[in-house]
Amino acid sequence: MSNEPPTDSGLSADGTSGVASDPTARTAAALVVEGITVAYGPAEAVRDLSLSVNAGSLVALIGANGAGKSSTLAAISGLVRPRRGRVLFAGQDVTRWRSSRRVAAGIVQVPEGREILATMTVHENLMLGAWHQAQGFEAGVQEIYQRFPILGERRALLAGSLSGGEQQMLAIARALLAHPRVLLMDEPSMGLAPQIVDEVFAVIERIRKEGTTVLLVEQNAQRALQAADYAYVMETGELVLEGPADELLANPKVVEAYLGESLSGEDGLEGRSFDDGDADAPRRTSG
Amino acid sequence: MTQQIVNGAFMGSIYALFALGYTLVFGVLHQLNLAHQAVFMLGAVAGWVAVVTFGFPLWVGVVVAVVVGGLLGLLIERVAFAPLRSRPDDHFAGLISSIALGIVLVALALGTFGPDTVRFPREAFPRIGFQIGGATITLLQLSILAVAITMMVALTWLVNRTRMGRALRAVAENERAARLLGIDVERVTMGTYVLSSALGATAGILFALAFNTIRVEMGLAIELKGLAVIIVGGLGSLPGAMVGGLILGLAEVFTIAWIGSGWRDAVAFTLLFAILLLRPQGLFGKPKVREV
Repeated sequence: MSNEPPTDSGLSADGTSGVASDPTARTAAALVVEGITVAYGPAEAVRDLSLSVNAGSLVALIGANGAGKSSTLAAISGLVRPRRGRVLFAGQDVTRWRSSRRVAAGIVQVPEGREILATMTVHENLMLGAWHQAQGFEAGVQEIYQRFPILGERRALLAGSLSGGEQQMLAIARALLAHPRVLLMDEPSMGLAPQIVDEVFAVIERIRKEGTTVLLVEQNAQRALQAADYAYVMETGELVLEGPADELLANPKVVEAYLGESLSGEDGLEGRSFDDGDADAPRRTSG
Repeated sequence: MTQQIVNGAFMGSIYALFALGYTLVFGVLHQLNLAHQAVFMLGAVAGWVAVVTFGFPLWVGVVVAVVVGGLLGLLIERVAFAPLRSRPDDHFAGLISSIALGIVLVALALGTFGPDTVRFPREAFPRIGFQIGGATITLLQLSILAVAITMMVALTWLVNRTRMGRALRAVAENERAARLLGIDVERVTMGTYVLSSALGATAGILFALAFNTIRVEMGLAIELKGLAVIIVGGLGSLPGAMVGGLILGLAEVFTIAWIGSGWRDAVAFTLLFAILLLRPQGLFGKPKVREV
């Protein structure tokens, strides 16, 4: 991880292989991050980070708050331009692409804190999700309403009136309508009650089973590692550990640093804070 | 009385159109474009040039003003705002540079057209009037009102019912979320300035037709009124700008009719202050929440 000659030809050979039939092979990379450094002014949030996400796999990026996980996703989505390094998507160098072009190509993010558009209706949020995929929208949105019946019921309500769990489902549904090839999920369990977290993870695993590649950023390391095939661990802007998720789950260093508290309870909800506990009592604007 | 209401609504619709340009940019981008007053003047000048210099009919003059306004919007965004976007103080810097660009545009107009007031020839106007319940309204006034109302309805429809409008509202609420949805925020930004300036230039040509005077400084007189209207209506609120403009127009006309023309600004602006005392966030403003 220490030296980083930005070789321009390094990963093109395996990157171009496109759709993978075998998700366990570490050859067909849908997304490759090569030695990126992300800095805001003089402060480096991410230093020389490299990772690779195979097509069809679910990869977790875990670490404490402030480790640089969200900045990594911001660089992959094109919200910030890395000071050094490259982002490759399906073998193409997308480092200089604008975020709108990346979304159109299939790099779609469900952002931290959900960032649904509170002053717009649920349906309008979904229409915006399909910004680059407008032609298949009607069929797509009907499928979404079947899959998330609660969103169908509340399609005409302002998204800001939904409960936290419903907003997370809306954020995920909105991303799915963008036809992601790589779905980036930033802290999808944050601030949600335990049974809602279960629902969110069930949705994530189903998305992955349907063939979408997922890069999952989580502070809830236990849940993330249980769901993932492969994982990277970040600390203060750098990768410190990587490996198959089940190996990391058994790794004493990981257990000590990230899973210590969770081992005392089966459902791993210790140490997490709930924003307002609203998941049990959804706010509604009409009866 | 009916005549005053007709005149006030007519004046107010022009104020509203002008103020909509400010509030649209503020609502979507949280920026204040103080070159807007130059757009108002140049819209009037462009329409006058089309009608008087090139001999087109009045309606073509209005269309020319709309198109010139849109192009000016693009110019303002590219020159006054886009280069400053990476600065941490970009909103304040943009405000200052838009004042400077406004001065440049006014000075260019002054150099080209001179300081004299110009007018449309009398014969360019239709000489038709209607009687409505004791009030007289000319075909010209009616046309101006129709253009203003049509543009307000069209803008409301665009913002609330179209794809472009959804993008505007998404950027207004959360620019980062809009980017993550794949919206090209730079294009939305340019589109917002084009729309805003087209409205401002239309207000300019309608104002010029209404009073049949075009001066290079005409924008400066309306600038503060437009800003007052959006503060009273609620910053960033489209219905606020429309209602605020109407209130200002009616207040001015009734002051002139009942008290005297010298009292116009004193009474109208005092009324606006009174509204702000009762509703500090503005008529349609929500405390701490922006809306388009």
